[in-house]
Amino acid sequence: MTRLLRFLCVVFIWVLLAPALAGAGTEDQELVPVLDRLAEAAAGIETLASDFVQEKYLAVFQEALRSGGRFYYQKPDRLRWELRTPVVTGFALDGNSGRRWRGDEANSESFDIRQDPVMKVVAEQLLAWARPDFSWLQAHYRLILVATAPVELRLEPRFETAGMIDYLQIVFAADGSHVAQVEIHDRDGDYTRLRFSATKVNLPLDRKLF
Amino acid sequence: MPVIGLFFAAAYRWLAPRRCWLFAVTLLLLVASAWAASSLRLEENIATMLPDGNNGVAEDFQLLQEAPFARKLVISIKAEAGSDPTRLPAVVDALTAALDPGLFTHLASGPDQRLQTRLMPWLIASLPNLASADDLTAMAKRLEGEGAAEALRRGYEQLLGPEGWALKNLIRRDPLDLRRIGLEKLRYLNLVPGVRLVDNHFISADGRSALLLAETPVSITDSAGAAALEQGFEQARGQLPEGYSALLVSAHRYTLANARVIQQDLWSILGCSGIALLLIFVLLLRSPRAVYVFLIPVAVLAFAGLAVAIRYPTVSAITLGFGAVLMGITVDFGLHVYYALRYGQGSSADLVGRVARPVLFGGLTTIAAFAVLLDSDLPGQRQLALFSIAGLTAALLLALLVLPHLVPVGSRPMTLPRPAPPPPSAKRRRLLVLVVWVLFCSWCAWQAPKVEINGDLRRMSLVPPELAAAEKTLAAEWGGFRDQAMIWTRAESPDAALASAATVWQSLAAADLPMVSLAPLVPPAAEQAENRARWQAFWNGPHGGKILAALEREAAELGFAAGAFEPFRQALSAPAPQVTLAGAREAGLDSLVDALVVPAGEGIRILTLTPDSPRVAALVAGLGPALRLVSPARFREEISSAIGADFLRFISGAGLLAGVLLILLFRRVDKVLAAALPVGTGLLGMFGIMGFMGIEFNLFNIIATILVIGLGMDYGIFMVCRYSEGQDMATGRAILASGLTTLAGFGALVLGRHPALHSIGVTVLLGIGCAIPAALLVIPALYGRRQVRR
Repeated sequence: MTRLLRFLCVVFIWVLLAPALAGAGTEDQELVPVLDRLAEAAAGIETLASDFVQEKYLAVFQEALRSGGRFYYQKPDRLRWELRTPVVTGFALDGNSGRRWRGDEANSESFDIRQDPVMKVVAEQLLAWARPDFSWLQAHYRLILVATAPVELRLEPRFETAGMIDYLQIVFAADGSHVAQVEIHDRDGDYTRLRFSATKVNLPLDRKLF
Repeated sequence: MPVIGLFFAAAYRWLAPRRCWLFAVTLLLLVASAWAASSLRLEENIATMLPDGNNGVAEDFQLLQEAPFARKLVISIKAEAGSDPTRLPAVVDALTAALDPGLFTHLASGPDQRLQTRLMPWLIASLPNLASADDLTAMAKRLEGEGAAEALRRGYEQLLGPEGWALKNLIRRDPLDLRRIGLEKLRYLNLVPGVRLVDNHFISADGRSALLLAETPVSITDSAGAAALEQGFEQARGQLPEGYSALLVSAHRYTLANARVIQQDLWSILGCSGIALLLIFVLLLRSPRAVYVFLIPVAVLAFAGLAVAIRYPTVSAITLGFGAVLMGITVDFGLHVYYALRYGQGSSADLVGRVARPVLFGGLTTIAAFAVLLDSDLPGQRQLALFSIAGLTAALLLALLVLPHLVPVGSRPMTLPRPAPPPPSAKRRRLLVLVVWVLFCSWCAWQAPKVEINGDLRRMSLVPPELAAAEKTLAAEWGGFRDQAMIWTRAESPDAALASAATVWQSLAAADLPMVSLAPLVPPAAEQAENRARWQAFWNGPHGGKILAALEREAAELGFAAGAFEPFRQALSAPAPQVTLAGAREAGLDSLVDALVVPAGEGIRILTLTPDSPRVAALVAGLGPALRLVSPARFREEISSAIGADFLRFISGAGLLAGVLLILLFRRVDKVLAAALPVGTGLLGMFGIMGFMGIEFNLFNIIATILVIGLGMDYGIFMVCRYSEGQDMATGRAILASGLTTLAGFGALVLGRHPALHSIGVTVLLGIGCAIPAALLVIPALYGRRQVRR
């Protein structure tokens, strides 16, 4: 009786999983040319400058928390993330060295991402999306193609090191050159949505920004 | 002939017709002793050469071995000038991967990964137990007025930032940033001062060096394993990219360097002393049967080994090896018997009877010197004493009972010079000898107080220049973290030990001294209970109420949900679980806890580290006898003073016993003084020249002094017997042969590069080198007139 039960369980699981496994193979086949196309579109990008709106849907807040700011990227490893509303805060990164501020940027404090594990993860994530660095992303996440026009990817962490992240959902701009929207879903159901707008590609950026 | 002489003469006559039985029984005893001695279990531990009395030196030595890093392999990787220091973490990871996992285990290039996820929740949960009255006062000051709102606003801004996902739960549990109280206590757990964490790697303050710690299954005393370890390191080091270097510091490298040098030394020393002994054999002994004389030291090893095996279950390999070398002095007994029989005039029994008395007393004075060591504080010296007494006794019996039946008797009788009036220059020559001797002794007496005793164990082993440079580089790059003073608390229970450690911490903190201590992070139970009660009283009281109300107002203002900080509120109302050592280990601090907490029999020891200074010593002394302050520098002083006291006791005791024996033998003050002249001159010359040349005494050459005492006594006894009692029997030649064999055997050690071997060689060379001329020139100069009359 027990053996029969075990056999039925195995058959049941196999029947359930078979279509999913077959689908995964198909998705992988579709994903590769899409990623190649995105990489090609992003190849000529030297800088990005964009406004963004951030919506945080966190259980600790009564309502969604909306904030806005500006984002800059310069190849290969310069970032600037500044929040302008409802509070002024942000950070800029040049390689491993960075500075962050609350209120007046003149009173910033410096940091080194090699000595700050949290900022290191943040910088790695932002740079991976901004470049976009698909080999890094594929090493850390399982990439699933959700839609092709515009391209929408679901990223599921491969390792525990990604912390509380359940998955990410990334939508690319129509021409595929940059990211238009990112959703970060936490395991506890909270999520954050970032929408990028007015994105300028290859705009000359002041060195002082970083 | 004295009674002793008559006894041995009779013994010779009785044994002569029973030689076959004598040889058979001797051989049987020898084989049986060798078989029994082979059951000896040897231990290679220098601790047996350290005092084990009530002065605690042995315990201090044991505690020094328990120091963090003492048994670890410490690897420092450096980015040389011109190379990119930011690549160091990657270079360290590559080196880690290249090291043989069978030889290099528990590799740690940074803190435990669990720290990132487990430490902060544990620290926050532990705050009620950790926060002292001062901490609460500082916290209240920070959070009063707008402080609580400001703390929450900071958390709010962090939540808005991209790092918010990582801090969300932390802020829910600790919206007021109370964790900084715990973080402040964590800084007392930094074992390596100046270390920074870069990409979770230990990086030096200047950013150009990285630290990699490892353990190994290879025993510290295993030279073959140490060679494999070094080879494994060299192979991995060979794979480092250009511009990066690595150095390894561990006790194994000392073992290997010493083993290699001793091997090289043995070849050169054995070669030199072998050639010298051959020359002495050919020039002075000139008979194949003289080989039996040289077999005595070999044969007595079995008897001595048996005696030690009966008394001690395990024996130090160092003392046994050293004892075996010391047994070389027994060749003297054989030499005197050999010369007496070969060159003496009269019957064999008569010759044996005449030589027996000085040989026996010579042997007894040496035995007396060793007997003093039976009371030594050094267990190794006590073993050595028993080994030597048994060996010397066996050698005396072999030399006086067995050897006379093996050597040619009266084959070359010495023709005594016909008495003649002394030449006119003889008196002047004797006077010159005595003046030179007095001047030399005076100069030596002036220089002798300069001799110092050095208890540094490292001075007794070879430190190759490259290893010394590596130690220096390590200290320069990482601070002297291996030379800090250690304050040990010992108690039956962990809590009692923690209470003691907390007292140490409070005293050092009050004196504003830097330290590494577990006490702030794991206080004793009573202190935790006190902290908890204070914590709860604070948060349930008016101050805490105001802060919580301010938090609530600001949370509503910022749009936080009603239950947003429920974990924080629950933690404030629920009883906090007690902080334990096990909990700290679970939180990822296991390697630090293991470094600072050591099981001690039924109890436990807890360690506090602080820079060594007289101020620390005074502070610790004031805290009671339960604490023990140990440091490499302090240990060196302790051992120097303990060895010095032991040495003085040994010299005076040996001198007293030998004096009593000399009085028993000669019964006249002038003879006793004359007999003591070579040993006195030998010791004075040795001390004086060592003092002049700045050569220090250590554990090994102190024992070598016995050799000088034993042989010096022999020379004196024989020369006085010759000149006062007319027993020539080629005494001068025997002393010359004895002295030259000693110098060839032991003096050759001066050629050794190994400090222990070299120091033994120097001591013996100086001591015997002064005792021989004193015996052969000064005693005749003193007795000259009477000898001529005789």
